[in-house]
Amino acid sequence: MVFSSIPFLYVFLPLVLALYLVTPRKFKNTVLLIFSLAFYWWGEPKYTVLMLVTITFCYIAGLLTEKLRDTRYAKPLLFISVAVPLLFLGIFKYADFLLGTVGSLTGAEIPLLKLALPIGISFYTFQALSYVVDVYRGDAKAQKSWINLATYVVLFPQLIAGPIVRYTTVEEDLSTRKHSMENVALGIRRFVMGLGKKVLIANLLGSLCTAYRESADPSVLFSWMYAISFSLQIYFDFSAYSDMAIGIGKILGFRFLENFNYPYISKSITEFWRRWHISLGSWFRDYVYIPLGGNRVKPLRQIFNIMVVWCLTGFWHGAGWTFMSWGLYFGILLIIEKLFLKKYLEKAPSFIQHFYVVFLVIISFVLFNADTFTMAFSDLKIMFGATELPLYTAETLYQLRSYAVLLVVALIGATPITRNLCRKLENTKISTIIEPVVIAVIIIVSTAYLVDGSFNPFLYFRF
Amino acid sequence: MKKAKFISIILVFCILIGGASLWLFAKPDGEISEWERRKLQQFPELSYQTLMDGKFMKEFESYVNDQFPLRDTFRRLKARVLFDVFNQKDNNGIYVTEGHASEYDGNVTDEKIAVFNDKVNSLYETYIKNANCNVFYSIVPDKNYFLAEKNGYPAYDYDYMYSQIREGLNDSIKEIVIRDKLTVDKYYTTDTHWKQESIVDIANYIRQQMGMEAVNDYTEKSAGDFYGVYYGQSALDLEPDEIIYLENEEIVSSEAYLYENDKTVPVYNLEKLEAIDHYDIFLSGAVSLIKITNPMGDENKKLVVFRDSFGSSLTPLLMSGYGEITVIDTRYINPVMMSKYIEFTNQDVLFLYSAIMVNSSHLFK
Repeated sequence: MVFSSIPFLYVFLPLVLALYLVTPRKFKNTVLLIFSLAFYWWGEPKYTVLMLVTITFCYIAGLLTEKLRDTRYAKPLLFISVAVPLLFLGIFKYADFLLGTVGSLTGAEIPLLKLALPIGISFYTFQALSYVVDVYRGDAKAQKSWINLATYVVLFPQLIAGPIVRYTTVEEDLSTRKHSMENVALGIRRFVMGLGKKVLIANLLGSLCTAYRESADPSVLFSWMYAISFSLQIYFDFSAYSDMAIGIGKILGFRFLENFNYPYISKSITEFWRRWHISLGSWFRDYVYIPLGGNRVKPLRQIFNIMVVWCLTGFWHGAGWTFMSWGLYFGILLIIEKLFLKKYLEKAPSFIQHFYVVFLVIISFVLFNADTFTMAFSDLKIMFGATELPLYTAETLYQLRSYAVLLVVALIGATPITRNLCRKLENTKISTIIEPVVIAVIIIVSTAYLVDGSFNPFLYFRF
Repeated sequence: MKKAKFISIILVFCILIGGASLWLFAKPDGEISEWERRKLQQFPELSYQTLMDGKFMKEFESYVNDQFPLRDTFRRLKARVLFDVFNQKDNNGIYVTEGHASEYDGNVTDEKIAVFNDKVNSLYETYIKNANCNVFYSIVPDKNYFLAEKNGYPAYDYDYMYSQIREGLNDSIKEIVIRDKLTVDKYYTTDTHWKQESIVDIANYIRQQMGMEAVNDYTEKSAGDFYGVYYGQSALDLEPDEIIYLENEEIVSSEAYLYENDKTVPVYNLEKLEAIDHYDIFLSGAVSLIKITNPMGDENKKLVVFRDSFGSSLTPLLMSGYGEITVIDTRYINPVMMSKYIEFTNQDVLFLYSAIMVNSSHLFK
């Protein structure tokens, strides 16, 4: 069940909010846990047990880690605490990739496990890991209540597509969160904005990408439209999901950190990754990059550390060489920027900096969205005119006319222009009328799109 | 001021989400969507098995979508936003221009044309070649032929498609070219098909090519308003068409035997006005194999029509003079099965398919 669906909006959400509202404070986490498990079980009945095993393991590991923190058992225990959830992740997400790779390298016929990927396993595994590591480091106290820990891991707003909420972020909220009319209203506003971004922009951009993929009449211009649309789609799709997660969290009294901050206005790739999927970037920074030595090592070692982090970042997104290459692509760009490009970039005119980022990011997403290298190179060859395909075709012009307004809306929406305008209106009298009206319009129009059963996948579900 | 805004936001949310939620479960479930021409999902079976294998969840999601209050109004709203706000050119692939709704389809591949040619050639070689038959084919252009290119919508390269079909089909199958005799006005505005009352000249041209005389003494009868397939798909407020069917003494006295139902019905089956698609009155709609007996025709003069749905409304206009007309829809019957019911010998044989069918040639059995 995705947030942007009729069953979630009109069955699950009202039910959970109504019951949550009438439940005494003491049992609110239990209600959230039950509904979150139901939410997960709805889409993944078989693997709910796997998630519960991971939670229970981390719960016990957390308690033991705290008890044995200053003993010689602490490190081996940490190793086991991290290894077991990673083993689950490895078996379900990466085993077939590794078996297939070994098979193709050795020529041996190794049977694949062919296990379905449990929804959200990358997200909840990383959350569980952050808990055990934070307890080990003394940054968090071990959670005494299994229900509270389970609620943290399975909390439905962020369970299956993030943001990756660190235990320390919500540690306090798990036991003593505040509920207020302001939080509920602001949470609703954030949720509805996310809904609109997803249904009215991301899904429509997805239709354009599908049209390109299904076209028997592609062209250079169409391939660029596809690349730009996919770059915008993945941003609106994923950031919309984060908006909805943060919004529901706020309604329930949780304070999740931001996951996106207008990444397409960045002036360098380094800045881009400070604005894109912030929770993943900061997770790798704090749990991989810094433990490896971070910046406080010799340059060569630092380069090695960066490449490790970006190799893992790519691999986190998917068990495939294209994802790995996508991560390495950014790793290399970040190293180049760090070593020498940054100082030249800073002196360059602003539009050159923006063009540099947007161009390289668009290319990266062509690779990201390709199933194979062959497909990626084919797309890139078309984009750069290295094929016999024409500059444009009748279908290209048709799609351009059909999607022009959407592309303009999406391009503006990817910048802070609208947010800044809203902030100016925030405390005016007119916003008292405009905001509820806009929220009503977005709910009604999004519902209309969802009822018509249009294109509606969540791109980040596959991770 | 802030407090008032917060209260308003919460109220809006509760009224819209909570209200629709209550309405959804309070209202009686619908059974059919006439707009979309399909049955609506009913509340799914709840059992341990359906819960564990995910069937319940999948069907429940369809159920909630299908039974949502004001579903058709929401679909219409979506279409209006899409056309008027986002300025998109089609909704669910349907565009509206020159007063006609049509389904945009810019892709036709050599493979699809080749499959079509192979299927027709295979039928010819296997059953017809040595049966002393006069064999013809005609391809009906869809509405995009008239509407798409000049209004900026992608369309097939029709000339290329027609030439590939001519080159690919056996030379003994003679082409009857009708596309130059058609105009978009001869088609329903809300549907993919042509109007029977507008294709008498087409039918007569085909008859003449097959060596038969033209027939013009028809009486027009109305079957009422017709909301074609694009009406529902476009979700726009289009004016309905009117179904008019043409009768004469021969048509009225003829009977159509439907093999799959083992049932004899009139050529125009008005019982189908109770069904979702009123176009089905012509030869009872999607039926695999029909034998029409015309007592006023020459019992030695026989016609076999391989056809898609365009043939349903044309065939009654081809009947005159033939004692027996066999109508075959190879989307629904395997040729091997067909051969059990038909003996090919000395008939006139017409392959009549639309360009849409050529581009969906994988549907042939």
